[in-house]
Amino acid sequence: MNPIHRLFLSQRKRFEPGGRLARWQPFFKSIENVFFGTAEITTQSPHPRDSLSVQRYMMLVIMAVLPCLFFGMYNVGLQAFLAAGRQPDLWPMFWLGTRTVMPLVLISYLFGFGWEIIFSTIRKHPISEGVFVTAILFPLTLPPTIPWWQAALGISFGVVIGKEVFGGTGRNFLNPALTGRAFLYFAYPVQMSGDAVWTVVASKGAQAVDAMTTATPLVVALAAPETGLVEKTLSKAGFDGWTLFLGLYPDSIGASSTLLCLLGAAALVIMGVASYRIILGDIIGIIGMGYALNWLAGNGAMPYLSLNPWYHLLMGGTAFGIAFMSTDPVSAPDTHAARWIYGICIGVLTVLIRAFNPAYPEGIMLAILFMNVFAPLIDHMVVRGKIRKRIPNV
Amino acid sequence: MYDVYIRKGYRFRMAGTPSKELVSLSDPAQLAFLPEKIPYVKPRLKVAEQDRVKIGSILFEDKHNPAIKFLSPAGGVVSKIQFGPRRVVEAIIVDRDCDNEQSVTFSSVSPQDLNELSREAVVDHILKGGLWWTFRQLPFRRIPDPRQKPPAIIVSLCAKEPFQPQPEVYLRDRADLMSYGLKILDKLAQGQVMVFSDGNQPAQGHDPWLTHRVFGDYPADDPGTLLYHIKKSADQNRAWTIGGQDLLLLAQFLSRGKYPVDRIVSVGGGKAPTPRHYHTRLGVPLRHLVDADALDDDVRFVAGGLLRGYGSTAEGFMGHYETSLNLISRGDRAEFLALFNPGIDKPTYSRTFLSRLNPGNLNYTCNIHGERRACIACLHCADVCPVDILPHMAYKAICADEIEESLEHGLLDCVECGLCSYVCPSKIELSRTFMAAKAAYAKEQAE
Repeated sequence: MNPIHRLFLSQRKRFEPGGRLARWQPFFKSIENVFFGTAEITTQSPHPRDSLSVQRYMMLVIMAVLPCLFFGMYNVGLQAFLAAGRQPDLWPMFWLGTRTVMPLVLISYLFGFGWEIIFSTIRKHPISEGVFVTAILFPLTLPPTIPWWQAALGISFGVVIGKEVFGGTGRNFLNPALTGRAFLYFAYPVQMSGDAVWTVVASKGAQAVDAMTTATPLVVALAAPETGLVEKTLSKAGFDGWTLFLGLYPDSIGASSTLLCLLGAAALVIMGVASYRIILGDIIGIIGMGYALNWLAGNGAMPYLSLNPWYHLLMGGTAFGIAFMSTDPVSAPDTHAARWIYGICIGVLTVLIRAFNPAYPEGIMLAILFMNVFAPLIDHMVVRGKIRKRIPNV
Repeated sequence: MYDVYIRKGYRFRMAGTPSKELVSLSDPAQLAFLPEKIPYVKPRLKVAEQDRVKIGSILFEDKHNPAIKFLSPAGGVVSKIQFGPRRVVEAIIVDRDCDNEQSVTFSSVSPQDLNELSREAVVDHILKGGLWWTFRQLPFRRIPDPRQKPPAIIVSLCAKEPFQPQPEVYLRDRADLMSYGLKILDKLAQGQVMVFSDGNQPAQGHDPWLTHRVFGDYPADDPGTLLYHIKKSADQNRAWTIGGQDLLLLAQFLSRGKYPVDRIVSVGGGKAPTPRHYHTRLGVPLRHLVDADALDDDVRFVAGGLLRGYGSTAEGFMGHYETSLNLISRGDRAEFLALFNPGIDKPTYSRTFLSRLNPGNLNYTCNIHGERRACIACLHCADVCPVDILPHMAYKAICADEIEESLEHGLLDCVECGLCSYVCPSKIELSRTFMAAKAAYAKEQAE
């Protein structure tokens, strides 16, 4: 017998009813589930069951996000070195990034998982794997310099208010990771404001880490002087198309690289985990609205309206939001047709918020949360339509 | 002939497909009738233990409708009447007189006589012959009221559930019987008979009978699925169906005047030593079909298809509606690091395992592969449902006791194929919930 199997076997009785740690059985089970599949078998038809479980579903999402996390560690280090005027050097850079990012990820897991354990134990429910996804998505949307206590507070708000109070994963109507981020965004604008992002600075002296702010591409674009010059202004500030696409600029930890989000989204769509309808809907909404604004641009109008619509996909957290946040199946609508509408509305709203609401230079987070709230309504309309088409059978 | 394309469904790539070889088995020493496996029937026993019966003697009748009788599939002595919880009659077991099995004689009806008989006379004859159970009425799949006229009778001549006897095998050399059977149905349904077969398989001489060819995966072989896709109005919802082999029984009974007891049973599944078809009898003991002692412990006996059949032990019997025995691995071992297994050999509807690239047949087990979780709206159930129900929503409606809403969603169109439960990553017992809700509704309507 495999030694890990023996370890779980020897510890199991402590967590079973009557054991000393019986209250913490959900915790034990969730750890055991990482190492072992279930031994449970069906008792009635259908006798065979699909090999896919919610655990694997969530694990695949985490795998798809990991490249963004590693890129985030690299980029945080790189931007710190650039800001300090030091020669980029791969390993020290990566180490600095790791030192900055890993604590945030760990805090996120510690508090997210912690709340889940507390709620599951009280409810006597199994621990749902959704929280592992929430806890990795959340820190990637944060600026690297965010105080640890704020990260802890954010994930706590996201998990507890965004999810647990409604009954846990599967019963929440808001995306918990975004709920946490939105909470920080409104509660602590100094650290989270969308118009500037804090870069960790690698100083040379004893004082190892400092911080500075720079304007995000979104703000730079908004401040473009003249119609037709938006891309040039961006380029002058160091945000040409390629930089934005690759994500090599100061931004939230993991959300900057459109390329990696694209790869992650592609992997999830190929595996059928993320809904391609939502993703395409998002893109159609953004590009469509972008061109519509181009049409309005001209004499006297805001120069921002003339921005090449594809830049909306490159700047800010759009790609990350599309790939990993809007595709959360629980907070999205529950029918395919509604998911198209949901995606398109998210895209349109993102661009509208960006263009016309200078207080919120980044629109994707608010657009997704807003549409989360409307998802049941779209579902309702789609389902009514479907029912009308059926020949009644009562 | 119409072609019907059914887009949704699922093709199982399961090891252990029964070969088309047909082997005749000697008659077993015991046979049984399992009243419990005939839904919505409340048996009133007409025999006691140690009574002598002939083939075709009455065993029990339905308390709700005493005209519906159930006859003995064997001649000999009733050796045991098995009761389950709350005195449900599980099985009536008959020890066969091996050398001198007696049979009740009924009058036979030749094809010419049939033309002259009235519909009522035919119905009476079938009722007397105890074969009314072969008919089932959609959507509850209960035995229909003989006084009613069916809007249509649908006969399925295809088999897509893993695994069921292939029509090609049970129709071999019995074309005349089939033609006669369809004439009987014509009489009963006054012309409204639909017969369909699998469009993807080459025609095997069934063509003259067919009204529809159906293209699609399991459960496109179900009469309910076809009905959903072709119905024009709500009047057709209460159509009747009859299984291909059951129709042969009916024809056999009318043409020969003897209670028919033949059954062709397929034995399949990953654990079946020799997957093939057997010619045997109604109510055969499972042990007679497969040498249970030669199998290891890790096996489940499923009487009927793997998606709809019931689990049994080797000591069990075949129900009257079941025509196959499937043996699959129980799989009650926790697999180490199952979560991270790329899964080249893991059967799945989703695309999350490499098995999608594996062209071979896969080994299915009874392992649940996960734990019960809340619905995460992956929509696999909606993608797979052959009758376009949104199972996740209908399920929630049932859980909230909103029966009207679940009916609007098409609960009664449900063909009970079990695919929604099969694909669910949250391991929610969707199809069981639907079946229970349907049964409760049927009961409510009967009152």
